[in-house]
Amino acid sequence: MKATTKADKIKAWALTIFLTGVSLAWAMPIVIVLINSFKSKGSIATETFKMPTAETFVGLQNFTNGITAGNYNFWKCVGYSVIITVLSVSLILVCTSMAAWYITRVNSKFAKLVYTLCTFSMIVPFQMVQYTLSNTANMLHLDTPYTIPIIYLGFGAGMAIFMFTGFIKQIPLEIEEAAVVDGCSPVQTFFKVVLPMLAPSMISVGILEAMWVWNDYLLPYLVLDITKYRTIPIHIQYLRGSYGSVDMGASMALIILALLPVIIIYLFCQKYIIKGVAAGAVKG
Amino acid sequence: MFKKKKANAPAVGAHRSKLITRPMRKMVWIFLIPTFLCFIIGFVWPFASGVYLSFCEFKLIREALFIPISKVKDVFVGFSNYVRALQDPSFRKAFFYTAEYAVASVLIINVISFFLAYLLTLKIKGSNIFRTVFFMPNLIGGIVLSYIWLLIFNGILIHYGTYLTENATFGFWGLIILMAWQQIGYMMIIYIAGFQSVSEEILEAARIDGATKWQTLFKVIVPNMMTTISVCMFLSLTNSFKLYDQNLALTAGAPVITTAEGTQIKMTEMLALNISSSFGKINAWAKGTAQAKAVIFFLLVAAISLIQLKVTRDKEVQQ
Amino acid sequence: MASISFKNVNKTYENGKTVIDGLNLDINDKEFVVLVGPSGCGKSTTLRMIAGLEDLTAGELYIGDRLVNNVEPKDRDIAFVFQSYALYPHMTVYDNMAFALTLSKTPKDEIDRRVREAAQILELEEYLERKPKALSGGQRQRVALGRAIVRNPKVFLLDEPLSNLDAKLRAGMRAQISSLHKRLGTTFVYVTHDQTEAMTMGDRICVMKAGYIQQYDTPQELYNHPANLFVAGFIGSPQMNFINAEVVKDADGLALKFANSILPISLESLAAYEGKKVIIGIRPEHVKVSAVPALFDAKVDICENMGSEKYLYFDYAGSRLIARVPSEEEAVVDSDIHVDFDRNKIHLFDPVTEKAII
Repeated sequence: MKATTKADKIKAWALTIFLTGVSLAWAMPIVIVLINSFKSKGSIATETFKMPTAETFVGLQNFTNGITAGNYNFWKCVGYSVIITVLSVSLILVCTSMAAWYITRVNSKFAKLVYTLCTFSMIVPFQMVQYTLSNTANMLHLDTPYTIPIIYLGFGAGMAIFMFTGFIKQIPLEIEEAAVVDGCSPVQTFFKVVLPMLAPSMISVGILEAMWVWNDYLLPYLVLDITKYRTIPIHIQYLRGSYGSVDMGASMALIILALLPVIIIYLFCQKYIIKGVAAGAVKG
Repeated sequence: MFKKKKANAPAVGAHRSKLITRPMRKMVWIFLIPTFLCFIIGFVWPFASGVYLSFCEFKLIREALFIPISKVKDVFVGFSNYVRALQDPSFRKAFFYTAEYAVASVLIINVISFFLAYLLTLKIKGSNIFRTVFFMPNLIGGIVLSYIWLLIFNGILIHYGTYLTENATFGFWGLIILMAWQQIGYMMIIYIAGFQSVSEEILEAARIDGATKWQTLFKVIVPNMMTTISVCMFLSLTNSFKLYDQNLALTAGAPVITTAEGTQIKMTEMLALNISSSFGKINAWAKGTAQAKAVIFFLLVAAISLIQLKVTRDKEVQQ
Repeated sequence: MASISFKNVNKTYENGKTVIDGLNLDINDKEFVVLVGPSGCGKSTTLRMIAGLEDLTAGELYIGDRLVNNVEPKDRDIAFVFQSYALYPHMTVYDNMAFALTLSKTPKDEIDRRVREAAQILELEEYLERKPKALSGGQRQRVALGRAIVRNPKVFLLDEPLSNLDAKLRAGMRAQISSLHKRLGTTFVYVTHDQTEAMTMGDRICVMKAGYIQQYDTPQELYNHPANLFVAGFIGSPQMNFINAEVVKDADGLALKFANSILPISLESLAAYEGKKVIIGIRPEHVKVSAVPALFDAKVDICENMGSEKYLYFDYAGSRLIARVPSEEEAVVDSDIHVDFDRNKIHLFDPVTEKAII
């Protein structure tokens, strides 16, 4: 090992201090929003960077206002966002991993065609299909939070299948042969042997898809009936759109409420999230 | 991309075995067909009909789709939507604006994230915490993210008696700062993986050869990380081109100027936003033209992806 | 009854490559048969056909009296031990061994009894709750065996099960598998490319090359009477020496001439070879160092002292030869030695057909 001299130590400390500064600056935008969420709406725009004073501090008022802002309860948005994300991601994980296994193991023309189309779909930007897709969705009545996962599966299948086939190719064939010798049917082989072995990649793909669906704005905006169903991004954008009546305080509170679950989940699963995102980048 | 070739692949079919395949074939209805149907609804049909509609003139989609073949000639207008799209000043403006933005953001994001990644691989105290903090903005959706920054930008600009959407330059750099905040952590993670993939032995060899830290970085590490660097460059490039949510939520294209001919041009509108809002127009040819723009946009993004594929393939061959 | 019998079996892959051509092979009940040969000789394919992991292109395959061409692997009453062990990484050792029984809906207490019995035989009792990742190579190997044992099959199929172990473990596992065979009293078919494993474990050895059986016999017969050049060279370590020679007429009858040496030989069947070329095969232990001038003289090139014996390498008549001599032998590098052959242990091969003449 390299001997650490005094100069090296000083350098390392300087670096740590420098990066601490940068990190604090990095987190600052969120801190500022947090501070402003407790300030009166009038003072937010004019004294953005000041701590709340006795006059400007309004306690949780912004939060109570925010929940009902725009005549739409914010918790409903959270509910719909959760429903759509959970349903879509589960559907994507189960369906695409099965499809990817079939494509990898069965050498049929059909399987090859599906795979080629999937890879192709990954380079198609959403604007290319936004008009026709939203029309198709309305025509087939897929315009509720409970049916929109089918659209997400359809449009998101490409990347998931591409990633899963990559992972499945690394599973030694002998293990599946052992399963067949042990008496597994294909469905049993998949659910009892292949699926558990895919668990780490399930986490990676699941995180990538969840981040996409949770934050997605345009697709649900075009497909859902937004008087009835709003996800968090749709609601926040909608509030901003109703010009003139923007309640800055309520907006700040809602941003904090929208960030809170994401940050909490991130702090608990950051190892998996960072790994999953990196895997996605390298594969895609 | 970083797949390793197996040194001694088994003699019998590498990914397939008849024993597994045969009973599976009958199960295509369980394994593949459901996903494939959704894929048709969610991608294949919208894509194919989208290409078709870009050659049509129509007000309502049912005037052009699901009509008898004999009536197709009534709506089919050839390339005139494409001509209109390319002549649309707002589309051209959006193209150049996007390109300018892409160059600036790719450079800034990659340089900063490369050096942050380098610093974080120096085994200093707290590098895990720093990594966590830098990566966090990546999880925040574009819409929410934009409002955070809108507050900050306007909070600063108000002291100078102005606001973000008053000046296109503010909007441009605002978007760059915002995207840098969001993307740097993400790219940094990929660069860190790249740094870690350079073998310790090469670094030790460089040290024995007497290379300084900077020489090691630029003459040993960087050449061994070219695959990672090109992955990050292209990722940030395609991200720039596809950018929509942040553009919509930060400036929505404002400020707007009116040209001498009376056309309104949004000064900070990018391609994706331009196309999306084109679909909302109501003149007779608006939807067909918007779809033609979308096809052009798709070809552009596809071209970037194909170049990326070629570049990374070549890199792989070299290694 | 679990004899195995191949009748005129062919195997051609989808890409048109034929790996097995007209295979006829009979394996008796309770026999330990080793399929051995270089890679690509078709030994693994043969084994996988018994398991049902590969289809037959033509011919018939019987296990016992039952034609099994179209029987699913799970219904063949076989167990397969894979080269890479193919343990399920997400299951504990116990679950790995119990999996097949669970699938066939065996009662829980019966499963438990059989798994614990197998674990006891293989000394795996303390690892039952571990996952494969937490085991050493040798332990994983034993779990793979255990997975086969609990199914109580009529036939054990083992595909190079020891090739991922280091040399010391391998020797131990060889003995363990042999004693397992005696204990279970079932048919074992074992594939390897290692002739030592074949010689030490098999009741009978089937030597294969390029899809054909070269010789199928007991280890001793293979060693003493190799049917052709390939088997002669493949079995035995160090390898048998080969020398090109010519059959000539001598004063007393026929003799073999190579370089300046004349080796008289009395063999009637050799008459047809008079004036023709043959290949002499002689095992290193049958090459002697003589105190007095004998067949020919040579200069020792390399001397490897193994402790109990010495290997002397030298060139003669265009061939590199090895003599395996007691370590008391004084010869060292560069010493000149008188070389003699044990005349009763000479093998002769036809250079064209490569078949043994004697």
